[in-house]
Amino acid sequence: MLRIRPAALGAVLALCAAPAPAQEPPPDPLNSGMWPLVAEENFPGEIVFDPRVKLSLPAAAEDQFHVPVTIDARELAAEIGPIAEMVVAADLNPIIHAVTFRPGAKAEPFLGLRIKVEQTTPVRVGVRGADGIWRVAAAVIDAAGGGCSAPAAAHGQKDWMSTLGEARALAGRDEAGETRISLRMRHPMDTGFAAGIPIFHLSELTLTLDSGEELAELEISAPISEDPAFNLLARPTAGGATAAVAGRDSEGNRFAFSVPLPEEAVN
Amino acid sequence: MNRMKRMSRRAWLGGAAALAASAGAGALIGPIRAQTHAAPRSYRLEAVEIAARTWCVYGAQEDLSRANGGAIANAAFIQTPDGVVVVDTGPSKRYGEALAALIAEQLPGKRILRVFNTHHHPDHVFGNQAFPREALAAPQAVIEAMTAQSEALAANMYRILGDWMRGTVPTPPGRALNASREEIGGRVFTLTEMKGHTACDLVVRDEETGLVFAGDLAFLDRAPTTPNADLPAWRASLAALRRMERDSLLPGHGPVDPQGASLDQTLDWLDWLDGTLREAVARGLTMNEAMAAPIPARFAALGVARTEFERSVVHLRARMEEEILNGIPPDRL
Repeated sequence: MLRIRPAALGAVLALCAAPAPAQEPPPDPLNSGMWPLVAEENFPGEIVFDPRVKLSLPAAAEDQFHVPVTIDARELAAEIGPIAEMVVAADLNPIIHAVTFRPGAKAEPFLGLRIKVEQTTPVRVGVRGADGIWRVAAAVIDAAGGGCSAPAAAHGQKDWMSTLGEARALAGRDEAGETRISLRMRHPMDTGFAAGIPIFHLSELTLTLDSGEELAELEISAPISEDPAFNLLARPTAGGATAAVAGRDSEGNRFAFSVPLPEEAVN
Repeated sequence: MNRMKRMSRRAWLGGAAALAASAGAGALIGPIRAQTHAAPRSYRLEAVEIAARTWCVYGAQEDLSRANGGAIANAAFIQTPDGVVVVDTGPSKRYGEALAALIAEQLPGKRILRVFNTHHHPDHVFGNQAFPREALAAPQAVIEAMTAQSEALAANMYRILGDWMRGTVPTPPGRALNASREEIGGRVFTLTEMKGHTACDLVVRDEETGLVFAGDLAFLDRAPTTPNADLPAWRASLAALRRMERDSLLPGHGPVDPQGASLDQTLDWLDWLDGTLREAVARGLTMNEAMAAPIPARFAALGVARTEFERSVVHLRARMEEEILNGIPPDRL
């Protein structure tokens, strides 16, 4: 039987009565009613909207299952120094968080990705540097409904499990000497909102150079599109001949493969 | 009562407009609503004679929008000795009814004997409902695609076009075409199943005039659309159309084309699109970067080129990644 001693209860009440003052997020230029919650959950702490954070997405979703998003904080990093993490979230998705990207010292704060959207929604990227301040950019995508609640295309195929985790990749140097790395993996990325299909998604990816330098780390949520594909940018100084990619999904399946990094320019 | 309602709506519109004027961008919703309510939702269709006893109702060289009611594709009709043959029926029930009314006006007393659907896209076939069910016909694959996708396509059309779509129920043809040559009402037509714009594109040739109805395998002065495109198959179909004996050709979008310019232009666009998107994948560009590619000057006169190019990036990217990125075997864990 549960007994609560009055003294302990008093201490608990005292704690409840004096919570740490929550940081008020700045007013949302998009006027989203979800903004306070999105801010609190995804960008905890001080927030400013900053035009140096670049968020590219189309005005309208041609396909609500594959909305292309590019996040780019290179201009910001040139002024404030290394970027610790970049978080992408969509206010009106049933799962708001899409990805947290942590570029290592040898990667640019730049990522191409695709997300599913359940309806027309604000999409945001928050970028945090050494000072801990979240610098945020936001835009609205107009979309037809249902991107997060329809079964993945994979479930229309009998043998989708046999190709789970299959990887494709290509890397090459661009005219600036940076290495562009494209990754694509087979995964249904089930959100758990389609009838009878539980949540099942790629949840983590890390890229490490064979020199031991960590290139990037991604925390991945279910709104990332089926057969997730990413475009990354490694700095010219990144050493090594391969990038080792290690991944894990929400069922504990592990994936590992190595991407050769050619010296020659791709152009 | 009705009068009161109308007055109160007008008062509301006035209020919204005033609010928009005073509050600037924050009241954006005001003028948008006012426009939506004020738009006249009736199609003004005009038949243009494009060959002997053959008329086209041209679509706007635009995207689907509430301004054009979705009337962006060509619909055509042909007078045969015993009745009328229709090729495609437009985006909505209301359009189909307007088309049927136009045909009745142009050819009084003539019965509609046959309605061909060139492919399953809604801007071409969502007017089917206004025509006699037994007259509707398409290849089996078109009927199947229409049946399988009608719900999703209709949801999107209603979302984009709103009240223009009122009462529209996708109506796949009951009759599957299996002949390559058919006499309808005393006029002979050659029917060829091709593919590339979609998995099945019907080409109808009128033997009397030599006019080829190419459906959306051919576009003229408007960028081609690719939501179900197979580029190699489309190129092969363009080559087949080029070889086909014809006096003239009606593209699915754009003016009638006696010289075959639509075939050249469509092929040119597809080649450029294919090359540009493949290069973007090979260079490791993100999809958003790929969408920003410049459109060559020779396509500057094409309607909605930028929009269609951006849409095509989304349609074609995954397949190109599967082809261009290298398969990587798993490491031993």
